[in-house]
Amino acid sequence: MGRMAVDIGGTFTDLVYFDDDTGELTAEKSLTTPSDLTQGIQNSIALADVSPEAVSFFVHGGTTVINAITERKGVKTALITTTGFRDVLEIARGNRPDLYNLRFEKPEPFVPRYLRFEVRERMDAEGNEIEPLHLEDLDAIVATCQAEGVEAVAVQFLHSYASPAHESECAAELRKRLPDVAVTASHEITREWREYERANTAVLNAYVQPIVQRYFERLERTLGEQGLNCPMHAMQSNGGSTSFDWARAHPITLVESGPSAGVNGAALVGELCNEPSVIYLDIGGTTAKCSVIMNGEVTVTTDYKLEWSRTNPGYPVKVPVVDIVEIGTGGGSVAWFDRVGSLKVGPVSAGADPGPACYGQGGTEPTVTDAKLLTGVLDPDYFAGGQIKLDRAKAAAAMQKIADGLGVNVEEAADAVIRLADADMINALKLVSIQRGHDPRDFVLVVGGGGGAMHAATLGRELGAREVIVPRYPGYFSAWGMLATEPRRDFVRTRLMRADGVTADDVRTLYTELRDEAEEYFGSDTNVDAEDLSFAGRIDLRYQGQEHWVGVPVDMAAPTIEGVLADFHVAHERAFTFKLDDTPVEFVNFHLVATASVPRPTLKPLDNEGLSGDAAVKGTRRVRYGEDGEHEATVLARELLPAGYAGDGPLLIEEKSATTLVHPGQVLRIDELGFLRIS
Amino acid sequence: MSDKQGASSMHDPVTQEIVRGKLLAAADEMGIVIARCSMSPVIYEVLDFACGICDPKGQLIVQTNGITLFTGTFALQVESMIRRFGDDMHPGDVFMTNDPYDGGTHTCDIALIKPVFIDGTLEGFSIAVAHWSEVGGAVAGSISPSATEIYQEGIRFPGLRVCRGDVVQPDIIELIRENTRLPVMCIGDFNAELAAVRIAETRLCEIFEKYGGDFVRDTFAHILDTSEQLARQAIAALPDGVYHSTDFIDGDGVTDAQIPVCVEVRIAGEEMTFDFTGSSPQTRGPINCAYGALSSSVKTVFKSLVDPQAPSNEGWFRPLKLVCPEGTIFTATKPAPTGWYYEGSAHASELVWMALAPLAPERFSAGSYMSLCGTYFFGRDPKTDEMFVHIEPAVGGWGAMADRDGTGALIATTDGDTYNYSIELFEAKVPLRVRQYALNTDGGAGAGRQRGGFGVVREFEIVADEAHTYCSYGRSIVPPWGLEGGGDGSTNYMEFDHDGETHRVSRIAYQALARGDRVRVVTGGGGGFGDPHDRPPEAVNADVRDGYVTRDQARGAYGVVINDAGETDAEATANLRGGT
Repeated sequence: MGRMAVDIGGTFTDLVYFDDDTGELTAEKSLTTPSDLTQGIQNSIALADVSPEAVSFFVHGGTTVINAITERKGVKTALITTTGFRDVLEIARGNRPDLYNLRFEKPEPFVPRYLRFEVRERMDAEGNEIEPLHLEDLDAIVATCQAEGVEAVAVQFLHSYASPAHESECAAELRKRLPDVAVTASHEITREWREYERANTAVLNAYVQPIVQRYFERLERTLGEQGLNCPMHAMQSNGGSTSFDWARAHPITLVESGPSAGVNGAALVGELCNEPSVIYLDIGGTTAKCSVIMNGEVTVTTDYKLEWSRTNPGYPVKVPVVDIVEIGTGGGSVAWFDRVGSLKVGPVSAGADPGPACYGQGGTEPTVTDAKLLTGVLDPDYFAGGQIKLDRAKAAAAMQKIADGLGVNVEEAADAVIRLADADMINALKLVSIQRGHDPRDFVLVVGGGGGAMHAATLGRELGAREVIVPRYPGYFSAWGMLATEPRRDFVRTRLMRADGVTADDVRTLYTELRDEAEEYFGSDTNVDAEDLSFAGRIDLRYQGQEHWVGVPVDMAAPTIEGVLADFHVAHERAFTFKLDDTPVEFVNFHLVATASVPRPTLKPLDNEGLSGDAAVKGTRRVRYGEDGEHEATVLARELLPAGYAGDGPLLIEEKSATTLVHPGQVLRIDELGFLRIS
Repeated sequence: MSDKQGASSMHDPVTQEIVRGKLLAAADEMGIVIARCSMSPVIYEVLDFACGICDPKGQLIVQTNGITLFTGTFALQVESMIRRFGDDMHPGDVFMTNDPYDGGTHTCDIALIKPVFIDGTLEGFSIAVAHWSEVGGAVAGSISPSATEIYQEGIRFPGLRVCRGDVVQPDIIELIRENTRLPVMCIGDFNAELAAVRIAETRLCEIFEKYGGDFVRDTFAHILDTSEQLARQAIAALPDGVYHSTDFIDGDGVTDAQIPVCVEVRIAGEEMTFDFTGSSPQTRGPINCAYGALSSSVKTVFKSLVDPQAPSNEGWFRPLKLVCPEGTIFTATKPAPTGWYYEGSAHASELVWMALAPLAPERFSAGSYMSLCGTYFFGRDPKTDEMFVHIEPAVGGWGAMADRDGTGALIATTDGDTYNYSIELFEAKVPLRVRQYALNTDGGAGAGRQRGGFGVVREFEIVADEAHTYCSYGRSIVPPWGLEGGGDGSTNYMEFDHDGETHRVSRIAYQALARGDRVRVVTGGGGGFGDPHDRPPEAVNADVRDGYVTRDQARGAYGVVINDAGETDAEATANLRGGT
C-alpha cells in the first residue's frame, strides 16, 4: 500500500508516491493538461508506474479554484442580502490605496447589481432578531434566478456571524426551491464579523462551487475506473487537508492550496531536522513566496486578499490561509531601468514563454536566470539535468543594456541584477520574520521549489538565519509537502471578554465545546479515528480599546489566566516594542486547531553505498559571489554526496532540478537524510 | 546632475536602490505598528494616519501609503521643530505637535517627531501623525462645525518635548488625560505613534550601521534628486501657459453664504506655480485651512499629475511654487478655527485639478463629490452608561474619465487608503443601527459618454436616549463638474427625521436626536465625460437593467429608448439621437 500526492501547477503536474511497505519515494512530473486536468494526473501516474489499486491515501492540490477566480471563469452567481444592503458588495470599503491616482478603478464585484437581491430580516449585533425573516420575499428572487440561468447563490445577512438562524433558514429554502443551484450561506464559510468581507467570501465560494463539484466528480470517476478507489483528500489553504465532500461545499478554502502545501513541506523538513522554527522560501519563475513556521506550526491568518497589491484593494477572503508574503521577483523577472535610470528587477517576468534570454526561445530581456548564468552559478550544459541548453551569448547580449546603463561589464551588470533581486527577497523575508517580532537567528531557512537553492545561501546569511537547508527533491516540494499533510480544521469562536471577568473554568468550558465540535466534524470522516485527533489552542488578546490582537498559545486542559496574560504582555512587547501593564486586557478569539494524525512518510536515511566526496567532484568553475567577489568554486554532483560529507565554500552543488550555491566562509554538510545544510 | 556620479566615489546605484527599498520597508512597518496598536477606530479601522522618515533638514525621504492630507505637512512640521529646538535636540527626545499654524492640519491630528541620532549626530527624523478621536474643546470629538476660534477645538500641543532620554514625561500624559473626553483612547494612540517612531529609529540605525553614514546620506540626496528630475521632465512635457479655475465653497458652518475661491496655475518650462491670490479671506467658521494643509492639497494633485504611483518624497515638489497671501481661507492665521480644514483643503485640490484636467486627460477624471462629508454622533450608550463618539467620513461618487465610467462609492481626494466603517463592527460598539447602505441612484450621477460614479445613502437609526449629531459637508449647492460636454453630478446632504419632521442640512452644529430618529447621509455622484448621446446604447441598456439609470433618464439624458421588455429600440433611439 502507499500514499500518493498530486500537485497540479500551471506547467507541470507533480506526483509523489510513498510506498509504505518499502519506504521508497517516487517523484514524477508530466505536463499539465489544462483542457482536462485528469489526463495529466493519469499521465503522471503512468510515469511513476504505480498500481492505482495500491494507493491507500490520495491527496490533491491544484489551482482550479484560484484560476476560476482570477480568469473570471466561475458561474453566473447571485447574492441575497438583508434589505437595504445589496450594494455593500459593490461599495466595498471605499478605500483608494493608489492614493495619488485620480483615475482610481475599484475591483469589480463578482455579482452584478441586477443579480443582487434583498429580503426583509434583521439581527442585531448580539444576534437577537429585530425583524423576522420574510421567506415570501424569495418568490420573486427564485423566479428571476431561474429565468436568468443563475447557477450559484450566496446569502449574506447582517450579523450572521453572531446568529446564523436566518441565513440557515433562507439557504435551506433556496436549496429546496433551486435544487440544481449551488447555495452558500456566509456563516458556513466564516464566522467573523465585517459584512463586506463575509459577503465577498460567500460570493467567491458560490462562484466556484459548481466548477469544483464537476471537476471532483470527474476526477473520482476517472481514477475510480482505473482502480484508484481510496478516500480522496483535498489540500486546503490552511496547511491541512480535508475530504472531497467537505471541500465540495467549501471550495474557497482551497484557494491557496499549492503554496500552503509548500509551507507544509517546509514544516516537515523542520520536523525531520529537529528544527521547529523555520523560515520558508520558494522562488518560482515570476514570484518569490515566504512564510514562517513557529514551533512546528504553520502561521495561518484570515486576512487573505485575492489580487491585492499596493495599489489594488483586492478581494478579501476570510478563510484560514497560510500566512505567505509574495513578491514579484523570481527567476524570470526582467531587469530594467526606470525613467531616471535606476535599475529595477521585476515585477515583469519573461515567464515560461519566451522565458529568459538564455533559453534561446526568443527572449531578449535580461532576467535573473540570465544573470545566474553569466555569474557562473548555472552550468549551461546541465540546466534541468541538461534537458535545456542555456545560451550564454544570448544572455550576455540581453544583459548588455544593463551593463551600458551602469557603465560596467556584462558580468558586473549580472552581479547588480542578482543583488537587487536578493534585496527584494530579503525585504520579504524580514517582513515575515523581524517585522512580526521574530529573531531570524532562532530560525533555519528552508528552500523549496527549483529556483530557491541558488539564492538561499546569500539570503540566509544576510538574514542571519542559523542554517540554510536544501531538502531532497526541491523541485517536487509542494507535492512532497502534501504527502505530509494531516486532515485539519480550524475552529474560531469570537467571544469578547474583559480579562478580569474570565476564569480558567470559562476557558476550559469553551474549549470543551470547540473540541466537541471538532470531534463531530471528524466523526463524519471515516478515515479518522478519534484517538488520532490532536488539538492545539490559541487565544487572541488585546489591550482594551485596541482592535487588533496578539495570539498566545494556551494549555486547554489546565489554563491559568495569569499565565495567558503574562504571555500576552511579552508577546505584545516583542511585536510592538511596548506593553501596558496597567491597561485592562480583553480576550477576543479562541482558536482550536484540530488535526488528525495520519501515518507520515518517513524518509529513509541516505544509503552511502557508492557515494563519496571525491566521486561527487565534477570539476571547478569561476563564479561571481556578489559582494564576496569572484572565486574558483568546486562543483559537486548532489546525487553522489554521502551523508556525513562536510566541505568549505566556495562550492556549487548541482542536481537535476536545482543548483545550490555555498559562499566562501560557509560550510556545507550533508545530513543523514541527504539534505544540504549550509551554515 | 551628471557630475554627481563622478563626484562621489562611493556612488553605487545598485546599493542605493537596495537602501531605498529598506527605507520604504521601514516606513511601511511604522504604519503596520500604528494600525495594530491604536485604540481609536478612526485609526485602526479607517486608517486615518501617516508615517514617514525625514532627513536632518526635515525633507521627507519616504512615507507610508496613508492619506493625501499629510502629503505636504511632514516637512513643515519637522522644520518647525528644528526652528523651535535647534541644537537643543538630544538622543531619546520625542516631540509632539498639533499646531495647524505651524505646518499641521487641525488639533485632532497629533504628530510625534523623533530626532534620530547615530553616534551622536542627528541623521534624520521619524514622524507619525494620527487622528485622535477626541482632544477636548467645545464638543465631543473636538471639531464643532460652528467654532469661531481655535480655542474651541481642544487642547493644542505647540511642540512639546514629550520624551526625554526615551522616557515619557508623566506630566504631559496627565495633561492629556485631564483635557480630553476619551483619555484612554488618546493615550493608547499616543503609545501607538510612539512605537512607530521608535521602530523607524531602530531600522534607520541598522541601515546606517550596515551601509555607513556617508553612503546613506548620499542615498537620501539621490532619492530626492531623482524624484525632482522626474517631476521636471513631467512638467516640461506640459504646454507652458496660465490656467485658471474658480469655484464656490458652500457655506462655512456659521453662515450659508457661498465663498469664492480661485487659483491661477502658471506653467513655465520645468516649474509650476500655484497662486491662490484672490481667494476669500479666512472665514469665521472652521472650514479654513492653514499653509501646511494647503501645501498638502496642492502637492496631492501635483503628484497625481507628474507620477501617481512612485513613492512620495520632498524631491517631487521642488519644482512647485505656492503663492497665497496670509489670512485667506487657505492660509488661515491664529486664532481662526481649522477643525474642518479638510473642507478648505479639498477645495484647494479641486481648484488645481479643475484647472489642469483639460491638459492631462490621461491623469484626471471629472469632478467628484469631493467633501469627506464628515459626520459625528455622540451621546450616552445605554448599555454601558458611558460616553460614545462615532466619527465617519463618507464615500461618494467620482467623475467619469475619457475612457471609463466614474468610480462609485470611493473615498474623497483628501484621504486615500481610508476605509468606511464596517456596520457590523460599529453596531457592536455604539448605539447606532444602520438601516440602509446603498448606492445613491436616486440622486444620480453626471450623464456622459462615460457616466459619473454614484454616491451612497447611509441611513442610521438612533438606539440611545441621549444622542447628538453634527456634520459639515461641502458641494451641497455647486454640484461636481462634468468634462467635455458631460453632465454635472449631484450634491451632498444630510437628512434627518426628528419630532415628526424631515430636515435637510449640509453643515450643522449640535443637533439633538431622540431614540428612533433616522439620519441619512447622502453623497453625490461624480460628473460625466463627453456627450451622453455618444454613450453606446448597450451600455445605457445595461445601466437600466442594473437599476443605475431609469428608463426615463435613458430616454431624456442619453436619448436611448428601452421598451417594456428591457430591449433597446434601435430605431426610436436613432430618431431621438439624430434629432439632437
